[in-house]
Amino acid sequence: MILFHYVRLEMLRLLRDPGYLIMTLVSPLTMYLVFTNLDLGTGKGADGAVYSMVGMAGFGAIGAVMTNGVSIAEDKPLGWIRQLRLLPLGPSQAVIGRAVCAMVAALPPIVAVCAAGGLVDGVALSPGRWVAVFLLLWLGIAPLAVLGVGFGYLLTAQKAQMAALVFYMGLSMLGGLWFPIGKMPSWLADVARITPVNRYGELSWNVAGGHAPTLVGVGVLSAWAVAFTVFSVVGYRRAAQAL
Amino acid sequence: MDAVELHGVTKSFGAVRAVDGIDLRLARGRTVALLGPNGAGKSTVISMMLGLRAPDAGTVRVLGGTPERAVRAGRIGAMPQTGRLIGGVTVRELVGFVQRAHAAVARGPVPSLDDLLGVARISDLAGRRADALSGGQAQRVRFAMAVAGSPDLIVLDEPTAALDIESRRELWAAIRTCADRGATVLFSTHYLEEADAEADRIVVVDRGRVVADGTSEEIKRRVPGRTVSVDAPTSLDADLSALPGVVSSEVDARRVRLHTTDSDATVLALAAAGAVRNLEVSGASLEEAFLSLTHAEPALVAPIQAEEAVR
Repeated sequence: MILFHYVRLEMLRLLRDPGYLIMTLVSPLTMYLVFTNLDLGTGKGADGAVYSMVGMAGFGAIGAVMTNGVSIAEDKPLGWIRQLRLLPLGPSQAVIGRAVCAMVAALPPIVAVCAAGGLVDGVALSPGRWVAVFLLLWLGIAPLAVLGVGFGYLLTAQKAQMAALVFYMGLSMLGGLWFPIGKMPSWLADVARITPVNRYGELSWNVAGGHAPTLVGVGVLSAWAVAFTVFSVVGYRRAAQAL
Repeated sequence: MDAVELHGVTKSFGAVRAVDGIDLRLARGRTVALLGPNGAGKSTVISMMLGLRAPDAGTVRVLGGTPERAVRAGRIGAMPQTGRLIGGVTVRELVGFVQRAHAAVARGPVPSLDDLLGVARISDLAGRRADALSGGQAQRVRFAMAVAGSPDLIVLDEPTAALDIESRRELWAAIRTCADRGATVLFSTHYLEEADAEADRIVVVDRGRVVADGTSEEIKRRVPGRTVSVDAPTSLDADLSALPGVVSSEVDARRVRLHTTDSDATVLALAAAGAVRNLEVSGASLEEAFLSLTHAEPALVAPIQAEEAVR
């Protein structure tokens, strides 16, 4: 109940900052249309379009949840984190509440890139698969949303911005959202397979291709989710100590 | 059961001992001032009472349990010393969130949002953006957030610092309303007058220790509130530090400064002794007052840095 009230308050603040929400969808949408229409090695035809659609939607979602951490870092000098810590709201509730808001911010790029895939590039999936791809793209971003929240608690706004950019670009590329990890040297592909980003994309790629998500993939993603949650809760407690 | 119990509490930041063995018990339903100069350790003591920091040694109990438990149960309302309000929300939305958060866990009734806005004297600000208020208005909003859960213990860290007189008066009117309803109030201040006017009991801290503890009358007898200074007398046989009311004195080649608890009596005695030359009576700064109280070297620099680091 208290979590609901908290999410509602932070959502109000988020929705009153439409500039941020629009920014989150511009770059993945542009990149998706460029990638698929220039064919930069993502594979030919329909498979390539599905691959890129999931990749760029995921890329946009990661950008949104990482950038969200910056606004958390900006709350710290105001004493807002400490104010929350002095309410009956528990640390894990605070982290989850903020992560849910980050996930809402990830909706515009996911929706926009999927719409472009279906309407512009002729990605054809059954209605059931569309729903599954969309839900997995959205729910699968949760671990990274929690990570972005943790950066916000632990870092200054400037450093959170840098961390967001490094993870946004670096992990997206390493995770195979820009081009398939099959095109990487095998040692790099092995590294890619333990990143949360690759396993996040894999969920939707599998479902779009008619396969169930793999147990290993879900396991890797869950392990990262636990680690990121611990990281963020510790970060929250530290952020509340000082200003 | 007391509202707050501290036993042998210490806390250091690096080499600086911000809190140096404090024992303190606060009875329920009283209003207590934590009085001390900047860097005395007030904010550190408060942050441990709120569970924001753990003591290095000693125990902190609040309302019969750990501070964290009391916070989670919504039984402590706190107003930290610094802090501004967030943007993007109105006063009503912000205070409403805090009120609903408390209502979700409270065992007893919590005030309605309109009551709360009324008590804090911010009803007329309800529709304003929270980050566009004056200092005094923002402080009353922060107070409303502190008391939204009808807390048993209200902790206010220098609530009136940097407020003008009118804002102070309004804030204290709001605090008194809550104290009258039976809440225990602990506030820190470095104004003796404020502690004197508002508290049932004054705990004086300096350099991390309790140096005096008692009613306002008892503290005022010990803490010199005024400094009387005159040109140094030519004959040095007059011992001005023995004059009535004088707690301590400083003498240099030109001036004698007497820190006194009773400036009237001191001035009359100076006049009787024929020592009134360029008489000046001023309010003593609390730092001066504490130096005389603790008879210590003026080494306040390190603890001040420690408290700055906390912020």
